[in-house]
Amino acid sequence: MVKEYGKWPEFSQVSKEIDWKGAKLIAAGVDVGTTSAQAAILCDGKLFGYANIHAGVDFEKTAKDVIALAMEGSGMAAKDIGIISATGFAKKNVKFASKTFDEIHCHAKGARFMFGPEVRTVVDMGGQTVKAIRLFEWDRVRDFMLNDKCATGSGRNIEVLCAQLHQDITEIGSKSLETEKDPEPVSTTCWAFAGTETLGLFGRPEYRSEKLSEAEIYASHLFAIAWRVIGIIGRLSPLDVGEISVDGGLAFTGGLAKNPGITARIERELGVAAAKSDIDPMLAGAIGAALLSV
Amino acid sequence: MDFKKLIAERHEYAQKWKERTGGKVLGWFEPYFPEEIAYAAGVLPVRIIAQHEPDALSDKWIYGACYPVKDMTNQFLLGRMDYIDGLVNVEGCQWIFNAYEVITNNKPDMFKHYLFLPDYTESKTSKDVLKSELLVFKTKLEEWTGNKITDAALDNAIDIYNKNRTLLRRICELRRADNPVILGSEYMDMLLANQVMDKAQMNGILEKFIEELESREPGKDMIRLMLIGSETWDSNLEKLIESLGGNVVIDELDNGTSYFWDNIFPQKDRMMAVGLRYLGRPRQPIKESNWRRRPAHIAALAEDYHIDGAIIAKQIYCHPHGTDNYEVWKLLRERNIPYHYFERDMFVPNDETTLRVEAFLNTVRAGITRLAGWHNTVEI
Repeated sequence: MVKEYGKWPEFSQVSKEIDWKGAKLIAAGVDVGTTSAQAAILCDGKLFGYANIHAGVDFEKTAKDVIALAMEGSGMAAKDIGIISATGFAKKNVKFASKTFDEIHCHAKGARFMFGPEVRTVVDMGGQTVKAIRLFEWDRVRDFMLNDKCATGSGRNIEVLCAQLHQDITEIGSKSLETEKDPEPVSTTCWAFAGTETLGLFGRPEYRSEKLSEAEIYASHLFAIAWRVIGIIGRLSPLDVGEISVDGGLAFTGGLAKNPGITARIERELGVAAAKSDIDPMLAGAIGAALLSV
Repeated sequence: MDFKKLIAERHEYAQKWKERTGGKVLGWFEPYFPEEIAYAAGVLPVRIIAQHEPDALSDKWIYGACYPVKDMTNQFLLGRMDYIDGLVNVEGCQWIFNAYEVITNNKPDMFKHYLFLPDYTESKTSKDVLKSELLVFKTKLEEWTGNKITDAALDNAIDIYNKNRTLLRRICELRRADNPVILGSEYMDMLLANQVMDKAQMNGILEKFIEELESREPGKDMIRLMLIGSETWDSNLEKLIESLGGNVVIDELDNGTSYFWDNIFPQKDRMMAVGLRYLGRPRQPIKESNWRRRPAHIAALAEDYHIDGAIIAKQIYCHPHGTDNYEVWKLLRERNIPYHYFERDMFVPNDETTLRVEAFLNTVRAGITRLAGWHNTVEI
């Protein structure tokens, strides 16, 4: 089997501590994105099971598969789930879901669940879009921004690069941090150009003569992604000219949130440390969908 | 009334108009163009409308401009608008000026005229400068058409255009109702059709349309939105918003309400009367004094039309829009009007724009008590 360098590994888990049979309401959320799908099952508001799989083009089947995986081995069946909600770009394809919610509200809700109520800025870095979300202190979305001209900040960018380089997506971030100082970023105008430029760095005489390290090349690429994401966060505060305000707690969700080469650079540039959670950041959308439905 | 059909058949319409009247067709880009003067010369003024199709020819002439400017150039270079005898550019967007130069250089037989309309609309000399520019334009038109532009012809043109604007304003007033009988998409189609038709004929169509509207049942209670931003070329964004439970009840677009908001107040000095209308109309973002005039106009519309939120859709690479974003955002924030700003392409990318609008409507909906209970409220 060919190794998929550009994909985060599929995973799933069910809680052994929660007795799902005693739950008053079991709610499932499924987040069907462009490159992967996640499911979260909550028993009376507590995370019981979850799963992440690679998305196929049959989105309804993908949604069924990921929900089945999230309850695998627990004895729970689909009929036991009280309500199923869908989010993600293919949410309308999930016909068996009784509710659908937009991704912005799901990630906001999921982030508050995962990182705590002090979170005010959520940055979801998914396969296709980057969403910066500003929350009020109370439970409501105040403002949000999406990438519109360019996909340099998206997860698809790094997936393609890792596949081309045969570089494991789980390692590229930490490798990029082995540099003492970040080099200039590659093109931030277009992710296709960014990828080409990064590949081109491996052909440079500086690389062959070891004046340019592999870590520096990865740093150049990931700095370009972080650069784009910072721009989107900055647009959330249009009145604070010349200043990027993160208004308190910052939280990252989505696949790119697992890449320290990107998150560390964003934190460094913004001068803030992002909130931490034990829950995988890819699950935020699915958790949010489940919570919003009840 | 099938306004979409009128827009789709605009080329055939203008060609038949020429055959019928023997007159000339004059194309314009900017809603600052004083159509009344051209109309008084027996000319049919038509707005050049961009469409979405592969760009075969404009890339080598124009690079980095917004898509509509490139498309309009492309359409001309492909020969789709050979029935247009002349082109006028009014001081404003520099991308449009670029298109105007490329088109007229490639088609040297066309009548061309650059009409200077001061960016400093409120300076002491602006009205006199514009009047002298309009007189030059009038003379050029007379030479080109061979028709003398008499005071009687000007008065007739002003009457027709004032009537047209009044009818559009009457239809716009119907959108102030709690449950408007006309949706934003139909309204935008009507405005676009209005910009490519002979206004005397269009006035008849609008009068019949008003009768039709007055007999309609009230529409649904939807989230009331204002659309702000660059000029638009179709009603696809309005349609998408409607599919998600919103309705654009008012706009502040250059080719929307700003096109017809003010009438000409007749005076003996006809050129001064025309000039004052164009200097005083709702401002394009690039014009001076926006910090005072444009936000105030937006605020008045927001209040009059009871909006729940605003969508600011800027065309990608549109340079005039964006110059006064700061003032518009500030105004909306100060008035606690929720808004979403984004840069749109010539077409509306479905998935991405759907997500934006859906999320924005959910954000707005959470704060609207009148909609509680039967709309799906999303509170995080």
